Amino acid sequence: MAASLSPLIEPGFFSNLPVQTALVVGGVVAVVSGIVGTFTVMRGQSFAGHSLADIGTAGGSAAFLVGISPLFGFVAMNLMAAGVMEWIGIRRPRGRDLATGIVLGAALGLAALFLYLDSTASSTTGATINVLFGSIFTLPSSMVPVIAVFSVVAAGIVLAMYRPLILSSISSDLATAQGIPVRLVGIGYLAALAVAVSLSAVTIGAILSTALLVGPAATALRLTNRPGRAAAFAAVIGLVATWLGVLLAYDSYYWFPTTGGWPVSFFVVTLIFLMYLASQVRFRPRSGVQRRSTLTEAG
Amino acid sequence: MAAAGIALIALVSACGATGSQAAPGTIAVVAAENQYGNVAAQIGGKDVSVTSIESNPNTDPHTYEVSPSVAEDVGAAQVVVQNGLGYDDYMTKIESASPSQTRKVINVQNLLARPDSTPNPHLWYDPTTMPKVANALAADYSALKPADASYFTANATQFIASLNPWLQAIADFKADNTRTPVATTEPVADYMLQAAGADNLTPFRFQADIMNGVDPSPQDISLQDNLFAQHKVKVFVYNEQVTDTLTQTFISDAHSAHIPVIGVYETMPTPGFTYQSWMLAEVNALQKAVADGVSTQSL
Repeated sequence: MAASLSPLIEPGFFSNLPVQTALVVGGVVAVVSGIVGTFTVMRGQSFAGHSLADIGTAGGSAAFLVGISPLFGFVAMNLMAAGVMEWIGIRRPRGRDLATGIVLGAALGLAALFLYLDSTASSTTGATINVLFGSIFTLPSSMVPVIAVFSVVAAGIVLAMYRPLILSSISSDLATAQGIPVRLVGIGYLAALAVAVSLSAVTIGAILSTALLVGPAATALRLTNRPGRAAAFAAVIGLVATWLGVLLAYDSYYWFPTTGGWPVSFFVVTLIFLMYLASQVRFRPRSGVQRRSTLTEAG
Repeated sequence: MAAAGIALIALVSACGATGSQAAPGTIAVVAAENQYGNVAAQIGGKDVSVTSIESNPNTDPHTYEVSPSVAEDVGAAQVVVQNGLGYDDYMTKIESASPSQTRKVINVQNLLARPDSTPNPHLWYDPTTMPKVANALAADYSALKPADASYFTANATQFIASLNPWLQAIADFKADNTRTPVATTEPVADYMLQAAGADNLTPFRFQADIMNGVDPSPQDISLQDNLFAQHKVKVFVYNEQVTDTLTQTFISDAHSAHIPVIGVYETMPTPGFTYQSWMLAEVNALQKAVADGVSTQSL
């Protein structure tokens, strides 16, 4: 097995410590993003998800400034932003984009300030690239338990309110009629989303983390109509893209001996995009059937 | 956009310049980095007013961002000293935005006839650099104030002689140690390490990645890890002005492997140092690390 893979896997891949950390962290984060992202797509909150990721740049760059791991900055900032978005009206479809956009604008202004201060007032050089495009190979292995805890929290919230979440994602009127506290479910979901995009921000970067959140989920929802199965597919698709991306980034070191390889975020995002394209070609949209069958499953 | 802004500011300052902080009757000198500023002041003595742009030891000069007052200072300067090699490109932009027939620009890269492709910009660590800069300064000052020409020449001669303790320390180190294996984070002190006969085992690709604020490849990270874990180096030389989670990890790895760690600076640490005493302090730190296993993380 190992011998047959050797042309694909350059020597030292599995014994390399940064690779080991990247495979563990990237794998866990891809699974969480797949599960949470499936509901993001179902709820039509892709813009909110993307915005939360961008908003996180303010937190990540502030974390650099005070010298802690960007992950804590991402999580703190995203939870705050999710709270504000909920408060100004993410529930109302008409207010949703506006609320998201206003919080996004304000947060990016802060990010501009913090990134400026990172490069002018403190001794951090790589802050901008690290925050925006991720830095999975430089994650200290001491962060692995922290990432695991956040992953359990994000996935746990979604799984704990699985049924009500599915129902309120399909039709909030129907969910209300069934006595589901739709707003509470929405808040809980937004919190899980905030943590999930923070996690993918440390792996492939804040502005790319939507790709891991929405890409595999959108592909999975092309392959199946059932939310549970879609979440599982999305987790697997994200996992494959991330692991393959790590492998290609590692191998690319040997393709470009002078510069030392291409960034892992590029490979992960490109693989996700290609898989989405492939699903478009293979599976024709079946919009009419999709809605009815998801409803049946949820009910 | 940024260049246009600088141009505008420089234009305004050229029209309404109040001569910056230069005392009346003195030559206004602007140095991009404070090590050049320090030498410029030593050569010019009572006849010059020197402004150094980069002197904050907590920031990385590579990511320096220009403020309006810098454009004003450069606009009013009669003599400008800059490193070149892309290290302080903003100087060239400001200079061309406020053209002057009389301003004398000492570009150290050109002075040393180094090609643009020179990978390591930290020229002031090369023992052959500053004598040439001192003589160039004396020549430019003499042209501006011919009456004091012999004073400037005497200062330059005295300055060059005062480098001897440093040069001696380098020669002594080289004589005592053959090809001392060292690891680094960036090529900051590489010219000096080379002069001292040290063998830098960190690949230049890795040093350039850290210097440029991008992530090194996992292969290079792993290679660097092994330099410490397998005790292949006697000293770890890191850039005191650029630290992040990765370099912090290496510092603690070096400590746990009982490898002495020394911090080197991109700009002259202040207060209390001259260029000569700073350079001497860094060789002394290297000597103490190799001879006694003592770490000197900050000067």
